[in-house]
Amino acid sequence: MGKIFRYECRRLLWNKFFIGLAVVLLLYGALVLHAVTILGVSHTAPFSPWSFGDYLSRMLPLLWIGMLFFLTFYTSPKARRAAVLMDTTPMPPKQYAWVRCAAALTGGVLLSLLCMGEAAVFYGRMFHWYGWGSLLLPALTVLLPALVFALGSGWLLGRLRTWLVYVWMAVPFLLAALPLPEVLSLWNGRFFTAYPLTLGTLDPAFALPAGAAAAQVVLLAVGAALLAAGGSRRKAMR
Amino acid sequence: MKTMRLFPLELRRLLQSRLTWLMMALTVLSPVLGLVLYKPATSTTMLSMYLANPAIAGGTAGAILFGLLTIFELDRACRSRVDILTDAVVSPLTTALTRLLALLAATVLTVGLTMLVWLPISAGLIGAVFTGANYVLAYLLFLGLALPLGVLAAAAAYQFTRRADLSIVLFIAFCALSLTVWAADWQLCWLNPCVWALSDDFSNLRVFRSVAWMRFTWLLALAGVWTISYLCIRQYGKGVFGSLARSVRRLYRPVIALALLACSGTAYAAQPFLDHSNPDLTVMSFYEIPYAEGVTFVHRTAQVFPDTDAGTVTGRASYQFRNTSGQEQSISFGINPGYAISNVKANGADIPFTVSDYQEYNEALLEVTIPAEEEVELTMEYSGFPQESMPTMQGGKELSDEYLCLENSALSPRVMNVMPGEAGYPAEIEITLPENMLAIPFGSSEAEVVAEHEDGTRTWRYEHNGAGGILYAGDYIREDIEAGGMTIEFYYGRKHQAVMEAAQAVDAVKEVVDYCTEHYGSLSFGTGETLKLIQSRVAGGGYATTGASLLDEADFTAANLGNTEKGGGAGEVMIHELVHQWWGLGNMFDTSDPTSPWSAEGLTVYTTYRIVKELYGEDYAREHYVDQWQKAVDDYYLNFYVRNPEYLEMLPEQVQLAISNSLSQVRQYNEMPLKIYKAEQLVGGEEAMDQILHGLFNRELNPMYPYLTYQEFLSACALTEEDLNLG
Repeated sequence: MGKIFRYECRRLLWNKFFIGLAVVLLLYGALVLHAVTILGVSHTAPFSPWSFGDYLSRMLPLLWIGMLFFLTFYTSPKARRAAVLMDTTPMPPKQYAWVRCAAALTGGVLLSLLCMGEAAVFYGRMFHWYGWGSLLLPALTVLLPALVFALGSGWLLGRLRTWLVYVWMAVPFLLAALPLPEVLSLWNGRFFTAYPLTLGTLDPAFALPAGAAAAQVVLLAVGAALLAAGGSRRKAMR
Repeated sequence: MKTMRLFPLELRRLLQSRLTWLMMALTVLSPVLGLVLYKPATSTTMLSMYLANPAIAGGTAGAILFGLLTIFELDRACRSRVDILTDAVVSPLTTALTRLLALLAATVLTVGLTMLVWLPISAGLIGAVFTGANYVLAYLLFLGLALPLGVLAAAAAYQFTRRADLSIVLFIAFCALSLTVWAADWQLCWLNPCVWALSDDFSNLRVFRSVAWMRFTWLLALAGVWTISYLCIRQYGKGVFGSLARSVRRLYRPVIALALLACSGTAYAAQPFLDHSNPDLTVMSFYEIPYAEGVTFVHRTAQVFPDTDAGTVTGRASYQFRNTSGQEQSISFGINPGYAISNVKANGADIPFTVSDYQEYNEALLEVTIPAEEEVELTMEYSGFPQESMPTMQGGKELSDEYLCLENSALSPRVMNVMPGEAGYPAEIEITLPENMLAIPFGSSEAEVVAEHEDGTRTWRYEHNGAGGILYAGDYIREDIEAGGMTIEFYYGRKHQAVMEAAQAVDAVKEVVDYCTEHYGSLSFGTGETLKLIQSRVAGGGYATTGASLLDEADFTAANLGNTEKGGGAGEVMIHELVHQWWGLGNMFDTSDPTSPWSAEGLTVYTTYRIVKELYGEDYAREHYVDQWQKAVDDYYLNFYVRNPEYLEMLPEQVQLAISNSLSQVRQYNEMPLKIYKAEQLVGGEEAMDQILHGLFNRELNPMYPYLTYQEFLSACALTEEDLNLG
């Protein structure tokens, strides 16, 4: 399985598409960092967990799209035609599906690390600030549930209809336009600009209200469940 | 002929490629960059923001995209290793020419599509001041002509190197040059024309002509370079020099290339738009010319004939001097460097004259020797294209049937070294203009129509006293407003009528003039009876003289009138801009110190608040002004960089500047009005504050430093800086 995983990773990550996506992501990241994050959000420092969370929220639509693009490698008509051959190989289909999901998730994680690395370089270069540990929690809070959900839901939708994956790419933009309640405000990034102002102190430490934390846990769980459902329904989907 | 036969085939093949359509689609989308990312036109007129910036950004992105497409297409046969076969069927020279024509045809198609897509968007964004002529010219010149330049440059790079990677690097470097080191040189920035502003209310022909000239120069140059690269196309298995030697056997080919390059060089050197004024603005040698001994000024007349189609001026000027020295005297005049002088006569006889190559402050020096006679009548003729001095702020010498502004030596040669006579420098100016234009002398003089001509022009005459003089003319609407005990002649562009009416401009003028005159005093540059308020074409600021004051159109755009920082609505922003006649022009302020909130804006915003309070009541004024200032100031004091300035100092200088500027805007527009509001309470209320401001407005000026300072304000209030702390 390790060999297949490495092969799938290479197929997804060692191509012009991934490089192009990474370049676009880095350029957009630089734009956000230099135009928005540098000012800091809600009176906090540009390198506060709140400003960093706001930066990641702004990057999330591109990461979401990138993750779904990885899935199109497996759900495109060409891939479906090749699946006929793949199915003849002596390999448990469920495991093969998990390997592919893992490769796609690896791609998403790599893109996320690129974004975070870019921010780290930005903070170091601009402010000589290297306390990256404090940024881990907002990163996990924003990225992990969203990317797992993107993978699970995208995987399922792609197996139903290829074009549904492309439609699904628009979801973050739709969420950004919707007036979501506070518990769901992590989904459109407003949490990082609105919540610190309600805490009543200057430069507050990162904190997550119970409602928002629960919403993220639910998102993560639903993503994982969809992933499991998608993996186990392989034959029926063909 | 073979090229023409192959062209439709090549074009069809090109249009069947998905990459071509991708590049076309990206080019069509690329003007959006000018709305959000790349904004070279810094003015805030609607046409600058929503037409110039998208068109320039689209042209820049489109030229780069089409350059890359060109390299990709030219390299296709080589990349597929079928070049040997295709070269055997069709000459590589024919192929190159056919491909170039097909790519150019694709650029034409793309420009057409882009213009169609952006027409409704631009019209919607720009609003009432949108015109089809501006739209078409902007998109054709700023965007349309950039694409063939990109294609020519990229094709030449490929034909020289015959390597895709190398030609991409060369092409990108050439683009980067234009976007960086050449960006401020209006003739060299081939990709991104030097356009800082487009006028909403008046024509933009001067800017369009300048960009067209730059594009034309580069089209010739790149066509020449492409032709040379065409000669280097590898054939018969030879290298670059062998192929060149083979290609030049047909003599007309190198002759065409050299002719194109020579024409481009000539166009570059002979540009008619910009002068060669000394860039060192501290040098004022023309003011050091000694006065001609024993010569005094008696009278002058000028007949000026602007050609509004060609943008040129012809004129006749006549000067009467009294020369009591008994000797010949050299008289110096300042003339616009774009003008040619002819037919200089003294008392009817031809006399010699010289025009200096040295230029200063948009003037060249004309020297004439007058005879040793007591009464001398000097006449001369002048004509040409008025030139300007600032390459990055072109448009000041706009001359069309919608607008013109002829200042000093651009109106008629300006006497520089003759003492005034008993009556000063009396002058009588006549100017012949299209019938839709109003002539507005910038001063207390009034122009009147003295003749109407059959060709649809009218001759205006006015009298003036001064060696120079400024004349505005344009398609203006004039509204006479009785306010502040005088008649305000308010002139604004006809195209701006809808915006001005929506902003209730006439009411605003009346309210502001009445209020400010009553509370602070009359404007020092009013004549006591009349004051002209003239909306000028976008110029980067206003100025005033006795009897007239200028309002920059950029202050009255629909976007600016919607700026909530200046007022609660369009009418209130209009009030704000007009109050600047008192706090800004009537009382000048030194260049803002970035560490201090003191500027003309503080008193202007405060006065706007007071007027609004009088008009709409205390509750409205408190909600829309005092509460807004307080909120902005609270945010300002909590700002991370305000609390931790050491982090601001760590940032690169440009970033520091951008952040400081945005913070200083808050201080000028919110903190200072709030401080003045606090001062008002400390000195005993509005009436007391009005008396203080009246005193400051009418104080005796120090001619060496005529600016109103914060310290003067504090002293007048008998307060200290600490008293006004808001923290």
